[in-house]
Amino acid sequence: MKVYIYKGFERFWHWTQVTLIVMLALTGFEIHGFYELFGYREAVMIHDRTAWGFLALIIFAIFWHFTTGEWRQYIPTIKLVKEQAQYYITGIFKGAEHPTNKLVYNKFNPLQRLIYLGLKILVIPVMVLSGFAYMYLIYPNETFVLGSLGPVAAVHTLGAFFLIVFIIAHVYLTTTGHKPLSSIQAMITGWEEMSEQEAKEMVKSEMEYSLKVAKYNLITNKDRSAFLDEALMETEAKLGVKCNNKLHDVISNSGAGYFRIGMDGTYQEVNESWVSLYKYESIDEIIGKNYSLSRSKDSFAQLQETFNKVLKGETVEHGLVIRHCKDGSIGYHTLTMTPFTKDNKIVGVEGIIINIDRDNATKLQWDNENNK
Amino acid sequence: MKRLLYILSIVIIPQFIVYMVITRTDNQCVINKEGPTELKVENYTRKADRINIMVADHSKFEILQQEFERPQDVTLACLSCHTERHHELMANNHWTWERSEKLAGRDSIVSLGKKNIINNFCIGINGSEKTCVRCHIGYGWGDKEFDFTKKENIDCLVCHDQSGLYKKGKGVSGMPVEGLNYNIISQSVGSPKRENCGICHYWGGGGNNVKHGDLDKAMNSCSKDVDVHMAIEGEDMSCIACHTTENHVIKGKLYALSSEDKNRATCEQCHTDKPHNDKVLNNHGDRIACQTCHIPEYAKANSTKMVWDWSTAGRLNDDGSQIHESDADGNHNYLSIKGTFVYNDHVKPEYMWFNGLADHVLITDSITSIPIQMNTLMGSYDDKGENCESTSCSKIWPVKVHRGKQPWDPILRKLVQPKLWSKNKGDSAYWVDFDWSNSITAGMKYTDLPYSGEYDFVETEMYWPLNHQVSTAAKALQCTDCHTSSEDGRLAELKGFYLPGRDHYDFIEYIGILLVLLTAAGVIIHGGIRIVLRKNCLHSKEE
Ligand code: HEM
Repeated sequence: MKVYIYKGFERFWHWTQVTLIVMLALTGFEIHGFYELFGYREAVMIHDRTAWGFLALIIFAIFWHFTTGEWRQYIPTIKLVKEQAQYYITGIFKGAEHPTNKLVYNKFNPLQRLIYLGLKILVIPVMVLSGFAYMYLIYPNETFVLGSLGPVAAVHTLGAFFLIVFIIAHVYLTTTGHKPLSSIQAMITGWEEMSEQEAKEMVKSEMEYSLKVAKYNLITNKDRSAFLDEALMETEAKLGVKCNNKLHDVISNSGAGYFRIGMDGTYQEVNESWVSLYKYESIDEIIGKNYSLSRSKDSFAQLQETFNKVLKGETVEHGLVIRHCKDGSIGYHTLTMTPFTKDNKIVGVEGIIINIDRDNATKLQWDNENNK
Repeated sequence: MKRLLYILSIVIIPQFIVYMVITRTDNQCVINKEGPTELKVENYTRKADRINIMVADHSKFEILQQEFERPQDVTLACLSCHTERHHELMANNHWTWERSEKLAGRDSIVSLGKKNIINNFCIGINGSEKTCVRCHIGYGWGDKEFDFTKKENIDCLVCHDQSGLYKKGKGVSGMPVEGLNYNIISQSVGSPKRENCGICHYWGGGGNNVKHGDLDKAMNSCSKDVDVHMAIEGEDMSCIACHTTENHVIKGKLYALSSEDKNRATCEQCHTDKPHNDKVLNNHGDRIACQTCHIPEYAKANSTKMVWDWSTAGRLNDDGSQIHESDADGNHNYLSIKGTFVYNDHVKPEYMWFNGLADHVLITDSITSIPIQMNTLMGSYDDKGENCESTSCSKIWPVKVHRGKQPWDPILRKLVQPKLWSKNKGDSAYWVDFDWSNSITAGMKYTDLPYSGEYDFVETEMYWPLNHQVSTAAKALQCTDCHTSSEDGRLAELKGFYLPGRDHYDFIEYIGILLVLLTAAGVIIHGGIRIVLRKNCLHSKEE
């Protein structure tokens, strides 16, 4: 299954940066005296010009990151860093699932976040600053002159070594995707090959995101019933899940179900996915029924609590929930509930449920407990 | 297909853009590969544009057709038309052989010049004037009694003769040889040509190209391989094209004699301080003299003297005659009167920081360090001047270092002035009597200076910043002549500052290389395990 994760600019930026850094490294280490490649003079000229190109690109990229909000991708998180590291150390050899997934709003796993962030706020600025100091602050006819080139060169060279280390590790880690070449392919085409599971995860997170966005956007909310469709469309557009006809499958497989419950605790609306998740035959079987029907006793009490909270105006992300299907079997999903308003009065709750299969459920449960 | 192209374009366009960025051709340097582009020069008339008009035909002047008895009469004839010119000349240090200078690193002003300086070639003129003043623009300077105010003693001809017939005699106090035809000579006069300057400036130190290493009689008629400026097939420039002269004030002074950074002849006069079309190269000019790259070697036509050891002088043949020994190239390597020499040609200069100021060892100075620096060139990497708007910022210069061993007074710790020349035996002149003790005693007495009576030989170094024998751009130093960690690098010895390509910090190198190797090893091991356990890994678990 293929999912669109890298936008045009991102890919353009990435490949330009690759070329620039490779050229800078090749010429830089020639200047440093490691080998002869372009000829010293040519190397200096290329290094200087490439440096300017690099600066220009960085300015573009900064602009892009802030106008698109992509900068959020680099907000560091220490959540799951350990798991990610654990995965690279042992899990990967056992064929374990990636503990984190490439999500549109979270493209990078926590380790990547840390490393890319380090790269962006430490190594690259240091290289650019030391590089331009190297270029301009050494001439005695400037007003501000560095006492000696030594420290600048030392910082610049050390940074260059770090970049080489980064490049080696980075290129290698691209082979740890779904298939060895799928990450690189993604950076070229924008579409990343993922396992069904990963795609589902991605849809889930996308839905959650849309829900949040929608909550802020649709305050007056005349056509809130159409909200889910919008969210789906938005998701579709953002994810660009490749085969359109498969989208609904994906979403239904992913377990994204929609429901609305009135003040009285009866279902007023559910969507197809909801129905199939609960293994009912038709929507009519549900509408008008009390929501207790889909719960075990224990979890009903819990749900009631949540329900009341939401009626008071809170949005609750319930985390893992166990559901009782029509046939008596048990399923797991995450639940997000928000108040449903009419004329500025809360008249019920609506929400989205996302199916989780057994393996993941355990993991999520574990997470929930650890986060508390 | 279209889609494929679109997708690939995202990868290919960046390469293209980067390629465009790095291969902009707008700042090619002066020498591009297709051949030399026009060199930008100012304050200079190119050979093709020079107009040769004779302003005055001296053969038509009756006063020059008279029968001249003495060369002094020629001078008087010159001055009868060129009245008052003698004032200019008498102020010129070609005449005074001294000038008031503030020596770098000292407070007092001294009067310094060929008249009283000590070098590590023929040491000094005192007591031997009669022979040394062959390069003085005057007649009759035989001893301290010479009258520097007598205008008829000015030798106009040595500089202005264009007949090639004029010649000064040996050991005759600057007088010309006998039997010259002063009518032909005086009627030939014109502005000085290379031969006029060269007769002294090539032959300083007692032989062709001995002293400077970059001033050689071969430059009277040379190819671009010897000197781009003077090459016959090139611009064919005379000395005074650069050493511009007005009212007998000649631009340019010898660093071996002159300490202050005044009235120098510079490359920038014509080439400006931004001679290249390449910013990086021009920026180099902030800390590197033009000469450094453009005079990659000196003594390109004939050898120059690199070492002069006086301590071995005085060895004679059994019959008492003097010994002359030469090396394979025909250069003297031993003379009884002077000692042992080492000559060399196509010499790579040594490189030093230099800000245009120099100090000089005076004969009255107490020596504090050995080898004695005869003319310490001032400057260091840290000496950046006051933001370097002036020339006082230190630059790297190419220097000929002449190493010597010469007599000194180890008790008083001062250099000494031996009397070297005399016409007669028994006059204490070393070159006749070969007795150091006597000659030093006589020399010191002549200069009224104390002498302990003991002498020894001391090592000395004298510095000759190079300015001539400029190479073609194609032969100029290239980046890696200096920017290299090789021991043959031109600047391998000039330590104390960070030079890219030459220097690095060991610990950074170790950390960097170690990190890179560890990462590579990690990747290989990690990847290796994944491949070995292929079943489980690489996520190829088929769905
Ligand atoms: C905008 C960014 C950069 C600027 C402005 C810059 C500028 C410079 C300058 C001015 C030099 C001195 C040589 C010369 O004049 O060309 C230099 C040297 C060097 N650069 Fe950069 N550079 C930049 C980025 C990089 C990057 C990304 C790398 C490596 C991946 C790198 C590696 C080196 C190395 C290894 C040297 C030699 C250092 C030495 O031996 O002293 N540079 N750089």
